[in-house]
Amino acid sequence: MDGRVTISGLEKVYGQGAERTKAIEDLNFEVDGGEFVSVVGPSGCGKSTLLYLIAGFLDATEGTISVDGDPINGPGTDRGVVFQDYALFPWRTVYENVTYGLEEDGVPKDERQNIAQKYIDMVDLDGFEDKYPKELSGGMKQRVGIARTLAYEPKILLMDEPFGALDQPLRESLQDQLLDIWSDLGKTALFITHDVEEAVYLSERVLIMTRHPGTKKTVAEIDLDRSGSREEIVTSDDFAHFKNDVWKSLHEETQTEVTL
Amino acid sequence: MRYATSRSIEVLPTPVQGVVNTIIDWIPLGIVVLVWELVSGGIVATDVLPAPATVGAEIVELFVSGEVFSHLFISLFRVGVGLGLSILVGVLLGVGMARSDPVENFFDIFLSMTYPIPKTALVPLAILWLGVGTKTAILIVFLACLLPIVLNAYNAAENVDQNLVWAAQMMGTDERSILYKIVFPATIPEIMTGVRQAVPIAFIALVSAELIASNAGMGYLILTSGQIGNYPTMFANIVIISAVAFVAVRAFEEARGRLLVWT
Repeated sequence: MDGRVTISGLEKVYGQGAERTKAIEDLNFEVDGGEFVSVVGPSGCGKSTLLYLIAGFLDATEGTISVDGDPINGPGTDRGVVFQDYALFPWRTVYENVTYGLEEDGVPKDERQNIAQKYIDMVDLDGFEDKYPKELSGGMKQRVGIARTLAYEPKILLMDEPFGALDQPLRESLQDQLLDIWSDLGKTALFITHDVEEAVYLSERVLIMTRHPGTKKTVAEIDLDRSGSREEIVTSDDFAHFKNDVWKSLHEETQTEVTL
Repeated sequence: MRYATSRSIEVLPTPVQGVVNTIIDWIPLGIVVLVWELVSGGIVATDVLPAPATVGAEIVELFVSGEVFSHLFISLFRVGVGLGLSILVGVLLGVGMARSDPVENFFDIFLSMTYPIPKTALVPLAILWLGVGTKTAILIVFLACLLPIVLNAYNAAENVDQNLVWAAQMMGTDERSILYKIVFPATIPEIMTGVRQAVPIAFIALVSAELIASNAGMGYLILTSGQIGNYPTMFANIVIISAVAFVAVRAFEEARGRLLVWT
C-alpha cells in the first residue's frame, strides 16, 4: 500500500554555538502504508519537531525521510497536516477552507464542489459551509481542519495533538470519527499525542520516544480486537494491558526528568 | 446600545432606546455649544468669538451660495489622493519589510529617521519642490498618513501565524503566492486599524498644508477669512471641515465593519 514513511538516521539541531540544542537524535523508524501509528513521549522530546520534519516544514540536520522510497524535499501534497490550533484561514468560510487545496491543484469548480461537500458531510458539518471559523466551536474547527486536509487527498495524515485542546467527550467522539474515516479511506496516519489512552485506542503501533534529545525508546504493538464498541474496547483486559505497557515505558522517561 | 446594559432605559422599547442613546451621545457636543454661547459676548467679545447662532447662519449661507463646494471638493480630492497613495505604498512597504530582509534593511533607517519629524514642518520644503497648491498638499497628506499604515502592516505581516503559512504550503502554495494568498489577507484587519488612525491625521495634514501653501481648499478659506477679520466665516469653515472629517471616520468604520465580517 502507498504512503510508507521511512525515517533513517534522523537528527535535528536547533540554534548555534552555546544555544545549540539537539531535539532529535539518530531516529530510525518506518510507518507502513495505511498504518495508524501514534507517537508519545515526555514534553520536549521533539515529537512535534518530528511531525514538522516529516511534513517538510523544517529541514533535517542529518538523515533522510522518504515517502514510498523518495526522499522528501519540503512540503508536498502527498502529506497533510492537521494542526493542534486548527490553523484555519479566518477570512475564508468553512467551504472555502475545505476547497483551498483543490483550488491550488487547479481542480475545476464543479468538481471542487462535489469533493468539498463529500468531506464536509464526512465530518458532519453540512449546513455550516458558509460560516467563518470564528463562528465555530473548537471541535467544529478541528473537523473543518480534518476535512480541509482530507479534501486534497494526501496519502499520509500527520496529526499534531489535534484533539489536545478539546474536552473529553468531544475528544472521544472525534477519535471515533477519525477511526471511521481512516478505515474508510485507507490512509497512513501518524498521530502525536501525550494521552496514553488516546494513543492505545487509536493505533496499531505506538512509538514511545525518549526524553531530550528525542529518539526511539521502544515501539508497542497494539494488537487489540477492535470489532466491539468503544465501551467494550476500553474496558477490556487487553486494552488495560497495552495501556499499562505504554504508560510504564513513558513513565520511566518522565521519572528521569524528575530525578534530573 | 452602549448604555443599554447599565441603565434603566432598558425598560423602553428598542427604537425609543435608540433615540435616547443618540441624544445621550450628542450631549457633550451640546454642552460645548452652550459654553460657547455663554462665553461669546461675555468673557470674549463677539467680534473675535462669534456666537454659535451666527456661525450656524454663516454655514447655511456658505452652502446656499455654493461658495464652499469648490473648496470642499478640492480638499476632499487632496485627502483622497494623499490617503489613497499612502495606503498603497504603506501596505506594500509594511508587508515587504516584514517579509524580506533586504527591503527592511533598505527602508528601516529612512522610516526611523523621518518618524519623529512633524510632517507639516516639511510644507516649506514641499513648496520649493512642488510649488503652492494641490501637489504639495497631497505630498504632506501622503507623508503624514504613511507611518501609521506602514507600522500596522509591518507588525501584522511580521506576526502572521506560521501555521497558516505552513498549511498553505502543504496544500501546494508556492513561496511567492504565500504573500498575497496568506500574508496579505491575514494582515487586512491591522491594515484597517492603520487606515483608521490615518483618516483624521489626513485632515490635520491637509488643513495645515492648505493654511501655508494653497490658493484653494478649506484651509485656504479658513486662513483668508481670518486674515480679513471675518471670524464668522472662519469658524463656519472650521466647523464644516471638522464635520466632514467626523463623517469620514464614521463612514470608514461602517465600511470596515462590513468588509471584515470574518473577524
